[in-house]
Amino acid sequence: MPKPSAASKRGRTLVIAIAVAIAIAAALVAASILTRENGGDAATTETTSTGTTTDAANPTLAVVAGIRQTGTVLGNPEATVRLLQFEDLQCPICKKYTDNAFPAIVDEYVRPGLVKVDFRGLAFLGPDSEKALRIVVASGYQNKLWEVAELFYANQGEENSGWVTDSLIDEILAEVPGLDAAKVKTDAKSAAVTKEIAAIQAEATALKVPGTPWFFVGIGLNPPYEIRPTTLEPSAFRFALDDALKG
Amino acid sequence: MSDRVLRISLLIVSTAGVAVSTYLTYVHYQPAALICTGSGGCETVQDSSYAVLVGVPVAVLGIGAWIAALVLTLWNSEFARTLTAALAIGSLAFVAYLVILQLFVIDAICIWCMVNDLILVPALTLLALLRLRTAPDV
Repeated sequence: MPKPSAASKRGRTLVIAIAVAIAIAAALVAASILTRENGGDAATTETTSTGTTTDAANPTLAVVAGIRQTGTVLGNPEATVRLLQFEDLQCPICKKYTDNAFPAIVDEYVRPGLVKVDFRGLAFLGPDSEKALRIVVASGYQNKLWEVAELFYANQGEENSGWVTDSLIDEILAEVPGLDAAKVKTDAKSAAVTKEIAAIQAEATALKVPGTPWFFVGIGLNPPYEIRPTTLEPSAFRFALDDALKG
Repeated sequence: MSDRVLRISLLIVSTAGVAVSTYLTYVHYQPAALICTGSGGCETVQDSSYAVLVGVPVAVLGIGAWIAALVLTLWNSEFARTLTAALAIGSLAFVAYLVILQLFVIDAICIWCMVNDLILVPALTLLALLRLRTAPDV
């Protein structure tokens, strides 16, 4: 029997190696699909698939319950330290911040009256951003901005997928106790809201905000300074806020 | 094209692959470093459930594969050449899946992922296959 040539041996090795590599790739694809189907996106599905506010979203709403609001500001108006949050309601990283860090910041700093938080809404990701932002800013005229913003994040959909529907807006506004939904929708179309959004955009441009979420801390009447948390966990914000509180 | 040129090209592509995968891994673990800029869907892709595979970030798998490609290229042998080609073809199959996910399932495009998927991995495959053809008969 003739010995196989080096070339044919090499060919056989190559075929086996490629077959193994493709099998590994197929296993990775299968694992990716199975992991995903086994609940990888469970939390997202819970809050977005119905397009309504689910039970899971209501605890989020409770984060700001009972705290004084004045327009875009949440918390004690006399607080010396102010946390400015530039955010876009469509931005998934802003949602991550809202879910991960914001509740602790509110509990530890805002609720005790130490810090006030100022919503600086931007709408640069697309039409859904502006539609949601107009409703949120208009809700601020009734001092309910933060509840509505929380609910938009809880129901956040894919960027620019048309997720900010009229029915979603109706459902969100209906969730907020004491809010005049009809007035919000009228105010949302007003020149005053347009002017306020333009002013925030101008402020963001002046402060060179590169994207969202982006944070500044203001102490008293001093110009706000930028802070760059290294994560979106509460601990990353404590240092900056504690430092500001020391003056 | 000589084997030497192909090998240098493979080293360059693999090094670029390690760099891109390392950046994507950094971004995965440092969400604050990834802000929404309106210029693309990187944040959406990185935030999707497909970004993690059995508890391991896909970007980390990328680093592993690219380091393997780098080591196999440095290990200048016929067997290493064969393994590089196999690794490249397996990777090409997997990144094809990732591209389909971005285009049709996640519905967002991560530019740095696409650089890896559409430029670096196909380049690795092409170079690895060309290098097989230049391999001397033993």
